[in-house]
Amino acid sequence: MISVYYFGAISLILIGLYAILTKRNLLKILVGLSIMETGVNLLLISVGYVSGRTAPILTEGATPQTAVDPIPQALVLTAIVIGVATTALALTVAINLYEKYKTLDIEKIRGLRG
Amino acid sequence: MNPQYASLLIALPLFSAFLVPLIKRAGRKVILPYLTLVTLIQTGIAAWAFKEVYTTGQPIIVLAGGFQPPVGINLYIGHFAALFVLIIAIVSFFMAVFSMKAINVEPIDKYAMLFLLLMLGATGMIATGDIFNLFVFMEITAISAYALTGYNKTGEASEAAMKYIILGGIGSSFFLVGVALLYGSLGTLNLAQIAMLASKMNPTVAQAALALLVFGLAVEAELFPLNAWAPDAYQASPHSVTVMFSAFVVKAGLYAMVRIVYLFKDTPAFMGILNLILILGTLTVIIGELSALRQTNVKRMLAYSSIAQIGLIAVGFGVSTPQAVDAAVFHMVNHAIVKALMFLAVGYVAVTFGSPHIENFKGLGKRMPLTAFAITVGAISVIGIPLFNIFWSKFRLLLAALQVGKTGIVALILGASLVEAVYYFRLIHTIWFEGGGEKIEENLVLSIIMLLLVALIIIIGIYPETIWNIIQKAATDLYNVANYVKNVPLLGVSP
Repeated sequence: MISVYYFGAISLILIGLYAILTKRNLLKILVGLSIMETGVNLLLISVGYVSGRTAPILTEGATPQTAVDPIPQALVLTAIVIGVATTALALTVAINLYEKYKTLDIEKIRGLRG
Repeated sequence: MNPQYASLLIALPLFSAFLVPLIKRAGRKVILPYLTLVTLIQTGIAAWAFKEVYTTGQPIIVLAGGFQPPVGINLYIGHFAALFVLIIAIVSFFMAVFSMKAINVEPIDKYAMLFLLLMLGATGMIATGDIFNLFVFMEITAISAYALTGYNKTGEASEAAMKYIILGGIGSSFFLVGVALLYGSLGTLNLAQIAMLASKMNPTVAQAALALLVFGLAVEAELFPLNAWAPDAYQASPHSVTVMFSAFVVKAGLYAMVRIVYLFKDTPAFMGILNLILILGTLTVIIGELSALRQTNVKRMLAYSSIAQIGLIAVGFGVSTPQAVDAAVFHMVNHAIVKALMFLAVGYVAVTFGSPHIENFKGLGKRMPLTAFAITVGAISVIGIPLFNIFWSKFRLLLAALQVGKTGIVALILGASLVEAVYYFRLIHTIWFEGGGEKIEENLVLSIIMLLLVALIIIIGIYPETIWNIIQKAATDLYNVANYVKNVPLLGVSP
């Protein structure tokens, strides 16, 4: 039986991929990209989960035996920031595209041919 | 000098990029000379690291924060990394010089920052010894590349940048899923330790993880189904940035792919992934060459030609005998030199006449003889005519393919060269035998750079032995994984 975390994370990745592949509106594609990144982050974090343990913070009474794996949390922290940076850049490019082409339909944005 | 100073290869561009906003206060005239100075210092450090690695024969291992791997991140500057870091630094220096002529749109300070970050990202991708650190450097490279692609703010540039962002976003997500699979089953992110534990991994999981990593990196490495962004980005980005894409960003992606895949050399998953790389490489060559045939924009034509050459390199890595890997690394170096020259010369023509359309190349032999000469030498070299450098790498690739009896690859290389000959000779014909016009004064510094690269092409073409020795050491660094693992001082882990 596949764990609900893995199932949910992979479903999110697939939903995001579906949106990127089928939508024609640029903003919807970017939403798909964000959903996909969220799914990946969830997958990463659930890889490090150990059932029944707490957050990996060294406090009174907490030992390495009672904490979940801290490495995926560091990875996800980095990946979230990278995802936000990519999204911000993509949105500025989308604004620029709308100003130049007056549309966000990717079928109509076709200046480059060859 | 202490080998740990090699970390300056990462630190210097990063620190200099942060200083750009301060430098801007001194006036925008100083930004591009500052960029040139920084890349020159980077070249000096890279040359020092290169000399250090090739005289001692030992790789430089930089430990981040003094923590031993696999706890800390380590940089592994072996023979391959030392060579390519040097190439990256030299090409960046040339492009910083070219930028003074080619970049006159604002904001120039952001251009300088992104330029330095692109160089930093590519250097980091080649030097790192940790798979997640590789992802971070890949994203640094990718995000600066997205921004530089759209730098001209025309409709076409934004469109190319958007394609690149979406494909790159999918690619990096795939890569991260692959990393999650590797980490989930092995519990480590260090490349050396992954290689050590690789045989213990479930073959199905290993194959899935590797396939995801290959697909993720194929976006950066421009392999066929994921390279749709490349011709657009090459066409629409500033000319100096195009050179950097073709000369080292692609190579960094390809190197990362090969490094990770070769870690699994002794596992059952390896052969399947090699076949995947072979198929992707072959398709890349075919599609790239056939698309280059019908281009009227010379920069776009070179972009497709560049993609096809990358396909040849991937095929070399897919064959994966020591000889084939040697040849592929040799082709990587040669292609970096030749395409730096070609895109530089074509970019210079485009800056002078306004666009790289084939119309502007009519009579170039009379108007800009030196640039025309540079383009001609580059074109002849790419086709693989003897006495020029690419002849040797294509020849070695042919021999390596014959050794394992893969006649299909031999036919592919020869066919690709034939198609290349068609469109490059058409370009050469247009340059020398059509049109005419007045002679134009050519920029002295750019002429010197072009002549240097031309000289390099011809010297390697006539005396390939010297560089061949370097290449063999660099390639050994790639396929001799046992040696790689041995060189990384893993804490508390015995092989």
